[in-house]
Amino acid sequence: MGDWEWPLILFTVLGQIAVGIILMLWWLDRSRDHLNTKLFKQGVNVSGILLALALLASLFHLGHPEAAYRALAHLGSSWLSREILLFLLTFLAWIYLFWQSRQQAISRILESGATPITTSEIAAGVQQTDNRSLGLGITSVLGLLGIASSAMIYVLPRVPAWNNVGPVLFFLLTTGLLGALCTLVLGTKLLQPVQKNLLLKWSLGCTILSLLLYVVYGSLLSGSAEGSLTLSFLLNSPLFWARALLGWLAPLLLLVSLLRNSQVEKPNLILIVTLLVCLGEVLGRALFYLSAVGIHINALF
Amino acid sequence: MSKQLGFLHNSEKCVGCRGCEMACKNEYQTDATPQWRKVFQLNEDAFSLPTRMFFSMACNHCAHPECLRVCPVEAYTKRDDGIVIHDPNRCIGCRLCTMACPYDRPQFNPAKKKVEKCNLCYQRIDKGEKPACVAACIPGALELVEINDSLDQKTGVLKTLPGLPSPKITTPSIRFIGPKQGKQIRRD
Repeated sequence: MGDWEWPLILFTVLGQIAVGIILMLWWLDRSRDHLNTKLFKQGVNVSGILLALALLASLFHLGHPEAAYRALAHLGSSWLSREILLFLLTFLAWIYLFWQSRQQAISRILESGATPITTSEIAAGVQQTDNRSLGLGITSVLGLLGIASSAMIYVLPRVPAWNNVGPVLFFLLTTGLLGALCTLVLGTKLLQPVQKNLLLKWSLGCTILSLLLYVVYGSLLSGSAEGSLTLSFLLNSPLFWARALLGWLAPLLLLVSLLRNSQVEKPNLILIVTLLVCLGEVLGRALFYLSAVGIHINALF
Repeated sequence: MSKQLGFLHNSEKCVGCRGCEMACKNEYQTDATPQWRKVFQLNEDAFSLPTRMFFSMACNHCAHPECLRVCPVEAYTKRDDGIVIHDPNRCIGCRLCTMACPYDRPQFNPAKKKVEKCNLCYQRIDKGEKPACVAACIPGALELVEINDSLDQKTGVLKTLPGLPSPKITTPSIRFIGPKQGKQIRRD
């Protein structure tokens, strides 16, 4: 069985939330000018902080964090090298986004002035929106590739429970789910009702998909001796049932209730769902590491 | 890679004295926790007749080493003679190789916060000497051999033993000579 890998749990979950927020902002920005400038700025700031914390947390996993830069040395075959490169590129793209968000803030100040808007100012605004969308797109794609690389690190022939498409799907689902919920929390007062509805439906879809995938994943685990041990560990662990209750069942019911009464604003309920899903995903990620059983020498010693 | 060096372990000769373990520790003065070489006893019911059998295992210098594939800092290299060398100066202690090796042979040293493993005494081999474990094996159960088809075609040479991970994962460079069934008489 594995260990509580706190640095890795924090790195993966925080990194996935950060990328998820950017991804949702990009999605909301698909029809130009529908993304509130203030939400864009807040989203970029929060995702940047989370990304920085994630990268910082990842260092604590290393025996020698001061030499972490060397991890870029083996891009040819190591998914860990690729992950680090892609996350650094994501961070660089985020810096561009941050700069964009500052520009947007300046333009908003100009727009609020009493002077009439000239044609050149409108053209500059359109250009800024295009740049914003491009920045969000590039950061999202790099971030998603980074997350896929994170997952591929664990696709090891030695660990049957990981040696499948499961890690990639789970990591991407966490990104989509927590990204949408955190964007909902950030945009409580800034999102349009249609956008809130879309994000709630997306969150519900991700939760259902996550639950169904886990059922399929669990049923496939019994195909090997090590996989069966993983399954047995999960089913006998109170943490797993806490994860199921807090991360799947409760959010599922609350999200359905929120969607049924979507006309009524319930920011506190959205916050509760987000916190529950965060806790569920952290427990889920802890179980991911704890329940890993590798093929090993089965002998006395 | 022109050839592949590896180990041939003869279970008929091995008495489980752990002299190879000690020779390895003496040669490199390693800390207490990591064990580059380890002697295992197979489960007694692994064969059709009860069998008391030992095997000694260090890094298997696999033909397709997972440690080398996953290492992000290129701490692992494979020499022309097939020896997989781990360079502790490059290691950053990410422990990914310890997760990837089905034989648990790269081991994390908590004191140095780095991974260590057997480098098949390449410096001794380069001088024409035997690895420390092979040189110390009193019954001559452990040999340094070249892993090739002619070795695999010899009668009694096995690629794996019961209880060992499938050799398909990493193609380990170790061969075994298994116990002769029915030879042992036990009085428990």
